[in-house]
Amino acid sequence: MPQPLKILLVDDEIVRAAMVEEALGQEGHEVVCRLQSPASLNEMVARHAPDVVIIDMESPDRDTLDSMSLLNRENPRPVVFFADQHEPDTMQAALEAGVSAYVVDGLVPSRVKAILEVAIARFASFQSMRTELDKARGQLADRKRIERAKGLLMKHQDCDEEQAYRMLRKLAMDRGQRIGEVAANVIDILERLEKGL
Amino acid sequence: MTASRTAGLERLTLGFIPLLDAALPIIAREGGFFAAEGLDVALSRENAWSTLRDKLAAGLLDGAHMLAPLPLAMSLGVSGAACETLAPLVLGRNGNTLVLSPHWSEGMPSPNADVPPGDAPDPGVSARDFARRLRHRGGPPPCLAMVHPFSCQHYQLREWLALGGIDADHEVKRVVLPPPRMAEALEEGRIDGFCVGEPWGSLAQHRGGGRIVASGAQLWPDHPEKVLGVTAAWAERHPATLAALIRALTGAAEWLGASPEHARQARDWLALPPYLDRAVNHLETLAPGTGPAQQRLGGDLRPCPEAMPPMAAHLDQALRAQGGRLDPARLSACYSPVHFDAATHQKRA
Repeated sequence: MPQPLKILLVDDEIVRAAMVEEALGQEGHEVVCRLQSPASLNEMVARHAPDVVIIDMESPDRDTLDSMSLLNRENPRPVVFFADQHEPDTMQAALEAGVSAYVVDGLVPSRVKAILEVAIARFASFQSMRTELDKARGQLADRKRIERAKGLLMKHQDCDEEQAYRMLRKLAMDRGQRIGEVAANVIDILERLEKGL
Repeated sequence: MTASRTAGLERLTLGFIPLLDAALPIIAREGGFFAAEGLDVALSRENAWSTLRDKLAAGLLDGAHMLAPLPLAMSLGVSGAACETLAPLVLGRNGNTLVLSPHWSEGMPSPNADVPPGDAPDPGVSARDFARRLRHRGGPPPCLAMVHPFSCQHYQLREWLALGGIDADHEVKRVVLPPPRMAEALEEGRIDGFCVGEPWGSLAQHRGGGRIVASGAQLWPDHPEKVLGVTAAWAERHPATLAALIRALTGAAEWLGASPEHARQARDWLALPPYLDRAVNHLETLAPGTGPAQQRLGGDLRPCPEAMPPMAAHLDQALRAQGGRLDPARLSACYSPVHFDAATHQKRA
């Protein structure tokens, strides 16, 4: 059993950070610190001396980490950006999932790769969770729009609800658009009419 | 914009960091200069230079607003994984300011007035003043921030310190922070000063959190500060697109310089939320060469390797510390005007 590695996690997304921490714990690693918007990343790295730093690609703190090995020559554990030339697929997957990793110089690449893969998987599943949530929110907004568009059509075309809905559906089919998009167009046009624009 | 209007346009994504010298791509987009060249350009605001760098290298961005030394550092493999990168156009000159906290800058001369750089106080005066205070006060070394190790801000900070006889490696602590966080870190006392591009220096002074004591324009007058960066592989695959990009940005620069009204309009575009948002509230215009930073966002956009020695000397020094040296051929290849000349000499289609 290899020694557990000390991992510092820098991520503003509390849920995602917890997911990554749990998964890395199950692999036998120790997450020494989970940071949200660190006041001083430099101090945290000096205090906890992590072997690996996993950081959200979109974090504004990335430049601070990126420069640490170049600026702090006296720091006993300089961190370097993990970009293994032999593993372009892992690097591409990391970029797409939004994960980047910094490791202390001299760490075995295969161990870093295993950690990175765990983080990538959690980042990716968090992303799909969020996409699902956005979709659900979008559907809710669509339903509201469709109701509003139906109401406007009933008033302007002097028709019943069923006819108004069929009109929207036909427009959507003719234009190859989602019914929510068509509803938004209808609202736009009919509201302009009402305002006399 | 409707689907039919974007149909037939080539889609591109350019990365930028919220700074005034991201103005030309923003003007080219908002003013229709990209569209006129057949390009539909999305501008992606990035939170860190290293992220922008890695996305460009991985092909997630087609091009980017970049610190002038960064394409060369990428090509040499000293910043991120090695990736041959070109700087086919200069996006801006000057714009950096050196800001110190009120505690350190009290009574120091400042290049604040709108006077030509030649008439501004000698930056050596504030540097020597800072050195005296540093040695007189003792205690822990002051902490000075800049935006990236491979940046003119870092190099200019080192040169200003050298004017005061201060050893940048031992007498001060240097840290890297993203530009939008500088003023806040200074106000909270986590850093004692910084060197940063506009609008962040003038904003810190405007908010009363710091004082501009020197400018990059005083140290390296009209030195290229930001460039357009593209990978060599991308430039090779898309020569016509690169030429269109160069012409659109050149068109935006000509428009910006054509009237004071345009400079005000450009400021309003930069104030839009996806770009710089409230960070430009304290500015009225983007007119060139105003204020202590003497920033030039238009003018001569042609890159030229002969204009890079101040920056190249620092990069060479950094390489020598690692046992290497800067090959002049690499410098010439990176900042070659060949793409710029080809694009601007072609007749517009």
